[in-house]
Amino acid sequence: MLAAAFSRPEIDYHAFAPEIVLVGALLLILVVDLLFEDRARWATSTLAGLGLLGALVPILTLAVDGGDRSMFGGAYVVDNFALVLKALFLIGGYLTVLISTDYIGEGDYYEGEYYFMLLSSLLGMLVIASARDLISIFIALETLSIPAYLLAGWRKRDLKGNEASLKYYLLGVFASGVMLYGMSLIFGVTHSTVLTVIGERLAGGGASVPIVTVGILFVIIGFAFKVSAVPFHAWAPDTYEGAPTPITAYLSVASKAAGFVALLSLVFIAFEGRSDVWQPLFWVLSALTMTVGNVIALRQTNVIRLLAYSSVAQAGYMLAPFAVAGHTGVNQAVESVVTYLLVYLAMNIGAFAVVMAVARKTRSGELSSFGGLFEYAPGLTVLTSIFFFALAGIPPLGGWYAKLVIFRTLLDQPTVWSVVLAVLVGVNSAIGLYYYASVARETWMRPVPDEDRTPISVPSSLAAAIGLCAIATLAIGVVPQIVARFAHLAPFGS
Amino acid sequence: MSDFLQAYLTVAVFGGTAGLLIAGVLGLGRLIRPSRPNPDKLTTYESGVDPVGSGFSQSQVRYYIFALLFVLFDVEAVFIFPWAVGLETYSYFGLVEMGIFVFILVLGLVYAWRKGVLRWV
Repeated sequence: MLAAAFSRPEIDYHAFAPEIVLVGALLLILVVDLLFEDRARWATSTLAGLGLLGALVPILTLAVDGGDRSMFGGAYVVDNFALVLKALFLIGGYLTVLISTDYIGEGDYYEGEYYFMLLSSLLGMLVIASARDLISIFIALETLSIPAYLLAGWRKRDLKGNEASLKYYLLGVFASGVMLYGMSLIFGVTHSTVLTVIGERLAGGGASVPIVTVGILFVIIGFAFKVSAVPFHAWAPDTYEGAPTPITAYLSVASKAAGFVALLSLVFIAFEGRSDVWQPLFWVLSALTMTVGNVIALRQTNVIRLLAYSSVAQAGYMLAPFAVAGHTGVNQAVESVVTYLLVYLAMNIGAFAVVMAVARKTRSGELSSFGGLFEYAPGLTVLTSIFFFALAGIPPLGGWYAKLVIFRTLLDQPTVWSVVLAVLVGVNSAIGLYYYASVARETWMRPVPDEDRTPISVPSSLAAAIGLCAIATLAIGVVPQIVARFAHLAPFGS
Repeated sequence: MSDFLQAYLTVAVFGGTAGLLIAGVLGLGRLIRPSRPNPDKLTTYESGVDPVGSGFSQSQVRYYIFALLFVLFDVEAVFIFPWAVGLETYSYFGLVEMGIFVFILVLGLVYAWRKGVLRWV
């Protein structure tokens, strides 16, 4: 009967090695936490960090080995694109563990479970980078989202924490529902869940039924929630403010990157032939996202909320290459989005890390609490300026290269629409500079609000994270070839 | 641009149909049903027992935890039954795979046990 048709699937364990290492690490954390309870709490964060670094090793060996590996009938592909992004997720996860260690250790939090959830969520991200099938993309998305809903509410006795988690959960589930509906429509038209097959059938014209538009629209809207694109961004500021700050950094970088990764593979493999549908949609999303994000960020008085709206605006820049990909070709669009994600990882986690370092003393995220930071913490002030000016895109720092790549993509084969979008990116960068610089002004020029000038003690792991991000931000700004090289590798394998 | 508008006409039609469907069904109900308002119809259980106390009463959280644990075993059973039927064809590969699956779920149970969830307090 059915069972008789079973044939053992070919499993390439080398290609799965990063995921297997990560699963091993997260199970070990759970066991250590259970066996030793309070005596080994400190060990869980160390184990999480080691597990993430350990998972990078097979990624290196796979990269050296080269060649694309495809499993399960093309549903799971390990190519250069997947490897670059898996490395991005693992490094982002490692930095998150570094900035979490003292924050979680000092507060009234569950520690073992925290790292268990964080690694589970990262596991979903590793899978989503390789997933080339509607079902595996959906499963990966849920694997990365469900732990993230819980992590957002980790400050469980705090009302804002509860609000953060609940809003994120409800809107996330709603977005998943919309996306699933879209996927089901696409499956109904193309009779396949594998992206390459969907791509062939949609491009072939045989499947150009009008309902495809609705399917594509719904799938893209589902991911627009995930990357907090306007008008689907409403959850982001409240969730970012209420979640523990390391998780905010994680959500605004890694989780957003995961949304973009899924969008890249869906749009450029499965929907490639229907650029008439998605290109104008992305134009509108991109223009709205950067403009609304930046304009609202101008009025923020809380640094975390400011960074939240800034991350909404940055998503707008990252959506821009999608809006011209039909003309300029897919490879260039993928390359520029991946470049932006790599640079954004360093500067945004860095920005959150310095905010956390300052908040250790001031216990506040208000912009005014940064007043006169230079008088008692000159080093942190310089670092704050580095990260915020990098986000604004000021040349010697990393952000300029990311913006340059976006401009280059938009103006490579100029049409009226792409030039207008490029102008919008330019205007928005100028608006962005104002509020990023206002944080710097606060730290350099304003008086200390409560005359408390005791120096800030930054714990070693947080300092290490800030140092790594600062070095990366400066290095990318001076020698952008580092990122360019990896991003150039990224476009999809066969 | 007109291609684009044409493509998105589908979306407008789709949305319009959804709206019309709801309006149609509700409107049809309104036309057909008799309207005889009565204060009794506004009570919580129209032909049941009168509700007592506030609607915001708290229920025991431990039932919820047991429900979660139930899901753990439920999911396990959903996969184990079909697996058991086809075990001969899956041979050792299937055995090892199921072993890994059950091991991870058992860790969840051990977690609940160590955290004292299984004790009825």
